[in-house]
Amino acid sequence: MQPDRTSASRFFLPVASGILLLALCLAWWMNSRQPTPVSLTPTLTGQPEYCLTCHADLPEISPSHPVQTFGCVICHGGERLALNADVAHSSMRGGQNPSDLSVVEQSCGGSNCHSGSAADNNDHVQRVMSSVQSTYAGAIASILYTFGAEPDLTARFGMHAVSDQVITTQTGVAALEAFDPIQYDHSIIEDFGQNCLTCHINAIPRDGVQYARETGCAACHTPDVNAFPEGQVHRLTTEIPYTQCNTCHNRGNYDLGQMTFVERADQPTTRLQSYYQPIAQFTRCEWTLDCVDCHTRTEAMGDDDIHSNMKDIQYIQCKTCHGTLTELPQTKTLTDPNDIAFRLAQLNPVVDLKLGDTILVTEQGEPLWNTRVLSDGTYELIGKVTKQRFAFRPVMGTGCQQIPDQQASQYCHQCHAVEH
Amino acid sequence: MSSLSRRDFLKLTSQALLAASGLLGLGGLFRFLSYQTGQPPPTKFDLGPAANYLPGSRTVMLNIPAVLLHTERGYSALSMACTHLNCTVDAKETGFACPCHGSKFDMQGALLRGPAQKPLRSLRVEQTAEGKLILYTD
Repeated sequence: MQPDRTSASRFFLPVASGILLLALCLAWWMNSRQPTPVSLTPTLTGQPEYCLTCHADLPEISPSHPVQTFGCVICHGGERLALNADVAHSSMRGGQNPSDLSVVEQSCGGSNCHSGSAADNNDHVQRVMSSVQSTYAGAIASILYTFGAEPDLTARFGMHAVSDQVITTQTGVAALEAFDPIQYDHSIIEDFGQNCLTCHINAIPRDGVQYARETGCAACHTPDVNAFPEGQVHRLTTEIPYTQCNTCHNRGNYDLGQMTFVERADQPTTRLQSYYQPIAQFTRCEWTLDCVDCHTRTEAMGDDDIHSNMKDIQYIQCKTCHGTLTELPQTKTLTDPNDIAFRLAQLNPVVDLKLGDTILVTEQGEPLWNTRVLSDGTYELIGKVTKQRFAFRPVMGTGCQQIPDQQASQYCHQCHAVEH
Repeated sequence: MSSLSRRDFLKLTSQALLAASGLLGLGGLFRFLSYQTGQPPPTKFDLGPAANYLPGSRTVMLNIPAVLLHTERGYSALSMACTHLNCTVDAKETGFACPCHGSKFDMQGALLRGPAQKPLRSLRVEQTAEGKLILYTD
């Protein structure tokens, strides 16, 4: 057997060398097939990344996030120097949507961009995570109370567990546990969990173009995903049309008897018809404006407190802009160059706000930055989406017959509703 | 002319394979160790003759990005990288405005409006014996 061992050892080195040579040639060949990298070094990170090698045709996501400054990786994650698509995408955050709430703290909230202090107005992620739009606390509390699983309408559960160290409002609650519809051993509540949780902003939407939206921040800030093939839209905006709100709202009703969602059967062709409730009444501004023209960022994204339902956070009423018989709407003359109104107006520049301009503010002091008080005492609102100008006037001094303590919109509808 | 024996041929082939593998391996190692993902941005810029920049002028150089000012006190320069998140600011008639988040600065780079918290960064400008201006961004 001795000759065989000698023969084996004699051939081992050449064979191993040949295999190594083949492997190196293979690696060289594969490397030669890689595209020539297009390097970008974002000014914010200072770290080169090769994403533009394949994605140079993507449009800028927004004027606030230029690629030369931010690059791609700070938001999307991924392997910044990989040229192989699978490797490059292997560690992306949230797949194609880094704003999904499961990763939003690392993506949108990274580098203290949208996850910071309330004083700096950088606490977007914290506010959204505790808002009713993401916790769905109101709907859950309502169902649990209705079917006897909880003693009152106070929210105790949300789509995810969340707690609040500092409660600043009367309706704020300290914490929510993650909702588990199975724990109640109640078929209706299980059906609710199965059929009725598609509207909170991190839920995968129902099938159908009328429901099509992204999740997380992009659920609102990336509108019109239908307009792009396979929903691959690269856009963030505060110019949010009512149609985006309608991917969740006005799409139908819940049938509590069957605990299912009943889709609206009609196909609305007009702006007014887009509202679902057939018996409801609407004033002109409710169907000529977009939702974001009146409803504020705090109402939509939360105020950093956890609330039990939508009513605890939604507060804009007719009188916010129109006042009452005895009070004009609240206004504010912009004297501080760092007023948040300027930053909001800069993000969606439908109006050129200047120091000294007087705008309307809400009862909570939020600027309605797309309004201004005109010299004749009337007001003007510029549509954030349509860019249309709407003139309006205060109730004070008119023949309005409103009763002072009846300020909810249904009282205004009694006289000002439009016909369907 | 002596013919190559089978033994010598195999030996030569083995050595050639070994040498090629070694060279390729060393080449790969060298390439790996010397690989640069991108050139570091330059920090020194030759702006050409100082005479090109008239008194009172404000010259925007977006490739740097910086603005060169020629005032009564001589030449000075400001970085045009916004001190908020490094977006390149736009030069306006009365100063500079950041297109990303709305920070504003006056003609001297002083902060007028946030969210930036600091003024635009001053850059060093030197004039050479030949009359050229050199701008340093580090």
